[in-house]
Amino acid sequence: MSHHPAPVVKPADDPAFKLPASMSALSVPLCGGGLILMIAGWAIANFMVSEKVGMSAYLAAFIYCLTLTIGCLFFVLIQHLVRAGWSTVVRRIAELVMVMIVPLAILFIPIVMSLLTGSGTLYRWDDPEYSVANHLNANVWEAKAGWLNQYWFMFRSVIYFAIWIGLAVYFYRGSTEQDETGQRSVTDRLQYWSGPAVMLFSLTTTMAAFDWVMSLAPMWFSTMFGVYLFAGSILSAHCLICLSAFLLQKKGAMRDEVTVEHYHDLGKLMFGFTLFWIYIAFSQFLLIWYGNIPEETEWFYHRQEAGWEYVSIALVVFHWIVPFMGLMSMFVRRRPAIIAFWAGYLLIMHYVDVFWMIMPEAHAAVPYSAPAATTPIAVAASVMCVVGMVGLMLGLLFRVAGGSKVVAVRDPRLAESMAFENV
Amino acid sequence: MSDNTDSNDTSMNTVSGDKKVHGTVAEFTTVDSLMDACRKVRDAGYQKTDAFTPFPVHGIDKALGIKPTILPWIVLVCGLTGTAVALTMQIWMNAIDYPYIISGKPYISLPAFIPVAFELTILFASFGTFFGMWILNGLPKFSNPVFTDPRFDRVTDDRFFLYIDAKDPKYNQAGVEKLFGEFGSDYIQSVVEDDSEKKIPGFMYKVWIAVAAVSIIPLLIGLKMRVTNSDQPRFHIFFDMDFSPSKDAQQNTTLFADTRAMRPDVPGTVARGQHDVNFRTGIDMDAMASIDGVRAERLVRMLDDDQPESASESEESAPETTKSVMDTTPWLTDNPVDVSEETLLRGKQQFGIYCSVCHGLNGGGNGLVNRRAQRILAATWVPPSKLHDASLHADVYPDGKLFSTISNGIRKMPGYSAQIKAEDRWAIVAYVRALQRSQDASIDLVPKDQLEKIKKQQAEVEAALKAEADKANAGAESAEEETDADTSDAETSEDAKDESA
Repeated sequence: MSHHPAPVVKPADDPAFKLPASMSALSVPLCGGGLILMIAGWAIANFMVSEKVGMSAYLAAFIYCLTLTIGCLFFVLIQHLVRAGWSTVVRRIAELVMVMIVPLAILFIPIVMSLLTGSGTLYRWDDPEYSVANHLNANVWEAKAGWLNQYWFMFRSVIYFAIWIGLAVYFYRGSTEQDETGQRSVTDRLQYWSGPAVMLFSLTTTMAAFDWVMSLAPMWFSTMFGVYLFAGSILSAHCLICLSAFLLQKKGAMRDEVTVEHYHDLGKLMFGFTLFWIYIAFSQFLLIWYGNIPEETEWFYHRQEAGWEYVSIALVVFHWIVPFMGLMSMFVRRRPAIIAFWAGYLLIMHYVDVFWMIMPEAHAAVPYSAPAATTPIAVAASVMCVVGMVGLMLGLLFRVAGGSKVVAVRDPRLAESMAFENV
Repeated sequence: MSDNTDSNDTSMNTVSGDKKVHGTVAEFTTVDSLMDACRKVRDAGYQKTDAFTPFPVHGIDKALGIKPTILPWIVLVCGLTGTAVALTMQIWMNAIDYPYIISGKPYISLPAFIPVAFELTILFASFGTFFGMWILNGLPKFSNPVFTDPRFDRVTDDRFFLYIDAKDPKYNQAGVEKLFGEFGSDYIQSVVEDDSEKKIPGFMYKVWIAVAAVSIIPLLIGLKMRVTNSDQPRFHIFFDMDFSPSKDAQQNTTLFADTRAMRPDVPGTVARGQHDVNFRTGIDMDAMASIDGVRAERLVRMLDDDQPESASESEESAPETTKSVMDTTPWLTDNPVDVSEETLLRGKQQFGIYCSVCHGLNGGGNGLVNRRAQRILAATWVPPSKLHDASLHADVYPDGKLFSTISNGIRKMPGYSAQIKAEDRWAIVAYVRALQRSQDASIDLVPKDQLEKIKKQQAEVEAALKAEADKANAGAESAEEETDADTSDAETSEDAKDESA
């Protein structure tokens, strides 16, 4: 429905739909600088702290970028699944981010390489001495090793990337194809496939979270872990979309298309997913805390010692309470600058969350020895690594976006989306 | 959908025929035309307006100029109340009114309280939303004058209505009708007082009475049961809670192959506070088994039967301990307890309680019992050992053997395994070693910072001893022994600290 005098949809070649030139120009410097910074961060951690911390910092950066990317993929899928009208003006941003899964697949290669050395550099289970050194029950370890071994792990990783790349490219191509043709059948087709796509997505995301992050602590298990990673992922994806829309508007793109109503809705979703994140995080914690079984408490135990306890508490306060209170008011959600600030804030907190998931497992091979991951140099190197990788991703993103549009210009729901009202 | 405006009960200022007019309503066929009309009515300055639609229409609040609702604040306050109530309730119940440890957690255990706090937050916030919405909308409201118009029924289907209340300061029937006419509405009607029958039909009272009567029945049954007796068996609502499927001691079960409901300990179970055989006998039992398997087996069996080891073992060990060269038992040579200041203080305390009565506080073999026995010339009295004898030093009398002697006794001395815990017996062993050391330790072992103090104390003690000796020479016999015991004790405690350092 449109209640206002129907908003005028600009022609597809309007400059408001192009990536602003100032952003396109950043593409090469961001790619180059990002790559250098990323490698420098890894190198500092690798040579000045330990190989394990170096690879863990790299993995943390990778998981950060991955969660943003697949979060955006999920955003696109869910918009098609529910035939959402409001989000059409910002959907292309998510579509552009989700195709970054292709370069991310290449950035996964160093992780595979570290695995192939077979010395437990990153994943402790990769060390053939692991079970002996930790006095594990041989039967239990044999069963675990059936799942956690180099080749089966790599095979699964290939499957995940194949599915994600397939989905991302399919939905991106469909949408950009519509930019040219304006055919409604494209929307129908994407909607039709979004259901199976969501199922594939949830399975692969859960399994990837188990494989790539949870297996850092090979003897620990939590069936909620996949959802936990997803909760952070979908929250930060909404933040990224919100922040991108704000910056694009600031640079002159899509000024008439994205209105305060869209920020209001993104703000509501950010608010909801902050709560969802703590809900999942706490559900995972509560059961383990209450059960108090050594096999299960191990993971949280490592996050309650050697300074990690402060990070754990800080996550509750700054990843939940502060943004929860900050995003609660409609006043805030209807002010793009404030909501963009919270989006940026949550994107930073999401890295703290990822850091907290991955880095405590980077302690030395001897259990309970001082964790090197908390030294200032390791933290600085990790931050360099993630900033570098995000820069690299942004550079590539700008390159792709420069050759495309920043709004799905001929989507049949574009006019509806532009006229969208919340109250 | 928009909120209702203030209700329209009385105080009419316009009359149509003989019925009171509440306002004017106009019908529209599309959302767009309704929204247009809303905006124009708003711009014309009308405030007491309302729109009726078959489905929620976004943006209509703005179009009608309706102010943001205060409902979110009500919800926020209710939600926070829910959190506070839940936390207070749980802290009060679990930590103050009836302190109860659950799952080994503290009384005030925040993570355990969070789920309830969360649920009550949601519950209170939902109540706040629901009832707050009712109150703000003036609900429940069983009738509205607009219902008098049969054409208004189509608002639940495919028609949209815009209404201006007569209480609006700008209201003027002709003016409003003219305004509505400009919007192209093809149906404009005054909303008049509902003069239909207001009496509740008589059968409704019968239904209510019947429902009330039936709802009392369960209560009456309950009351009757409380004041009467019955020979009928009890009615079990939750059968498996009244008759728990768990087994009592000595009962059979089909769950396990041996049909015993009581499960034996898992092999290798170590009870809390229990120690291994070596710790409890002072003997290296593996070595013992290779020398004298029968005796090793007997010793272990005695321990497992939880008998005081003294019974037969004392006879066994008594002849052996007299001459260490003949002793082939593989005694433990190291104290299995971690020898620390704490251990030595514990040893000193236990020694003071159990050993000093005979052996003396300084281990010199001249405790109160011994002195009494000497005084009454007890014929069967065997004087206790002087613990400082070279034959009792660690090189010839290993720690394990000393432990065994304390446990099982020797000659006239009874075994103390029933009175003193194994750890404490080991602590006594450690303390006895410290006592022995105190008699022949070199002054060089004293830390430098304490040397001065020790030397001063030594001088004092020597002076006191000399004075005592002089006195003794003068003929006072009994005073000497006591001073001896006291001063030695002071020295040994210094030495104990020394060793622990």
